[in-house]
Amino acid sequence: MATKKKRAPNVQNDSWVVVAADSVIDTKSPDEDPAFVRLRNPSTDAASLYMLGSGDAQLYEVKAFDEDFHSWFVGQTVQRDGRLLFITPMDPLYLILPYLMKAGKEGKFQPVDQVVMDEEYPVCSRLLSCTRSSTSLHHIAEEKEVGSLRFHRYSEEKTMNWLKKKVERIVIALKKRNIYVGEGVKSTTYVRVKSESDCCEEDYLRYAHGLISEYISEDLSKALLKHLQLPELTSPKETEPPSKKRKLSDKPVEAGEDYTKFNSADFTRKPPKKMTAAQKSLAKVDKTGMRPMSSFFSPKAKAEKK
Amino acid sequence: MDLSPFDKDNSVSCRLASQVPDICKTEDCCLGIDEAGRGPVLGPMVYGICFCPVSKKEQLKNLKVADSKTLTEAERENLFQKLDEARNYVGWALQVLSPNTISTSMLQRTKYNLNALSHDTAIGLVQYALDCGVQLKEIYVDTVGPADKYEDKLSKLFPGISVTVRPKADSLFPIVSAASICAKVARDRVVKGWNFTEELGEVDPDYGSGYPNDPKTKAWLLKYLDPVFGYPQFVRFSWSTAQTLMDSKAVTVHWDDDEEDGEKAAQRQKNRSMLSYFNASAGGNNQNPTHQTHRFLTERRLKNLNTL
Repeated sequence: MATKKKRAPNVQNDSWVVVAADSVIDTKSPDEDPAFVRLRNPSTDAASLYMLGSGDAQLYEVKAFDEDFHSWFVGQTVQRDGRLLFITPMDPLYLILPYLMKAGKEGKFQPVDQVVMDEEYPVCSRLLSCTRSSTSLHHIAEEKEVGSLRFHRYSEEKTMNWLKKKVERIVIALKKRNIYVGEGVKSTTYVRVKSESDCCEEDYLRYAHGLISEYISEDLSKALLKHLQLPELTSPKETEPPSKKRKLSDKPVEAGEDYTKFNSADFTRKPPKKMTAAQKSLAKVDKTGMRPMSSFFSPKAKAEKK
Repeated sequence: MDLSPFDKDNSVSCRLASQVPDICKTEDCCLGIDEAGRGPVLGPMVYGICFCPVSKKEQLKNLKVADSKTLTEAERENLFQKLDEARNYVGWALQVLSPNTISTSMLQRTKYNLNALSHDTAIGLVQYALDCGVQLKEIYVDTVGPADKYEDKLSKLFPGISVTVRPKADSLFPIVSAASICAKVARDRVVKGWNFTEELGEVDPDYGSGYPNDPKTKAWLLKYLDPVFGYPQFVRFSWSTAQTLMDSKAVTVHWDDDEEDGEKAAQRQKNRSMLSYFNASAGGNNQNPTHQTHRFLTERRLKNLNTL
């Protein structure tokens, strides 16, 4: 691994701290300099930063370690941006996959260079020059060769098998690196006394599936979950109870509680308290459709008492 | 007085001591504690103890050691010389708390205030005297904080020794005066010959008394304010004088234990304030709200980038 300081024009902070694989800077000719490119992130469908190196032969993804309250001392300067960028090798198939899937809806065999096109991200055609692209397209598409021309058509079956293999390999990597995948502890920095044996295979599969879902679309992620024969987990968010409203009735309104005890002279004479700045700004908030805090603490059935 | 151990590394706390007179190991002794340099924003705080046999109290009185504050620097040096000459029955020990020690103590995550630091230093010196075999029977201390509480604390720590904590002890008991002279002389010498570890070139030595209200000190502080690093280690960063100047003239530095609140702080920290949960249009900052980053990445604080 190499740590490098680089310069980029037209950005407010003109240097950043990068950890990159040696292969990134290992270029033979000056026109093969690695370049940052913006490509469509298959998981979020928005732009993400990637890097093409070795004359477009290798794709790297760019991730940033970003935590509050960090800065760098670089040589004799201070860099306000305390992020640490990681440039790590990535399989270009993940980025090609969405284009193939889209074209696959037409059901025709097509040359890939006609498929991997994007008006928003014209750079994406360069993905095809990656060494791994041409040699591994058969993992996600059926191939036909006519003369010297090759045609491809997206295959869901192949893709699922390919992704399944990826998941299995992630599981191996997770186990090898002792990465805790259970639900219990949420921090990676805790030292665990218990052995990892209480993590079952399903935990590993789910965790690996979750990781791979960072690289594929949501639909594909769901399909893969099915393919791995893992039942979908329902999020507890959706089971929130509907907000209750007091039922209207014709009966005369009666006070639920005896308020007269607060009616003593000293209680009423108290001047209204001054609100703090925080309370004032809280008071301005739109509270429509919200239940008061106190409603969560009162007994449920008492309201309908006769 | 050999200050070289402190000069070698003036970023830490350092103990300097005289030889312990033999007589102090056999006869009942009294000990005085005082400090110099509590208030200044510059330089170290020096804690001093002085001890002598109870039987020699009168002799000490005859040296006319008096409260160091009433004396000129030359008189103090002179009196220290006399104490040094009386080394067959007077012993002393000093703890030089560097300004850096004071800054880091007071500004650390679990705050360690100046009073606690003072108490612990005094206790450490008394323990040092005991460890050297001084037969302590009486301790006299100029108070730091409420006198009765301090007296209680010391009495409990050193059972069998009578502890007297008094405000203005340095003018009441000659042994405390002696301690105050040792401390003050050491501080004066350290401040005068301060060895700046920072590469500042020729440092303007005209920093006045070092007290925050001294205009010379203030001017010096302004002159040596670095926008990034603040001050040389000679300055106590925990003093509000230094902090105020850094707040107004230096680059803002945020620490994760800064006591800030309010909407602005939350925004700056990219946290969501409580208020944002009450707004109808919450959660618009993410391009794809349904997408939840996997915990492998969030636990490691790893994020995708879309620009550099």
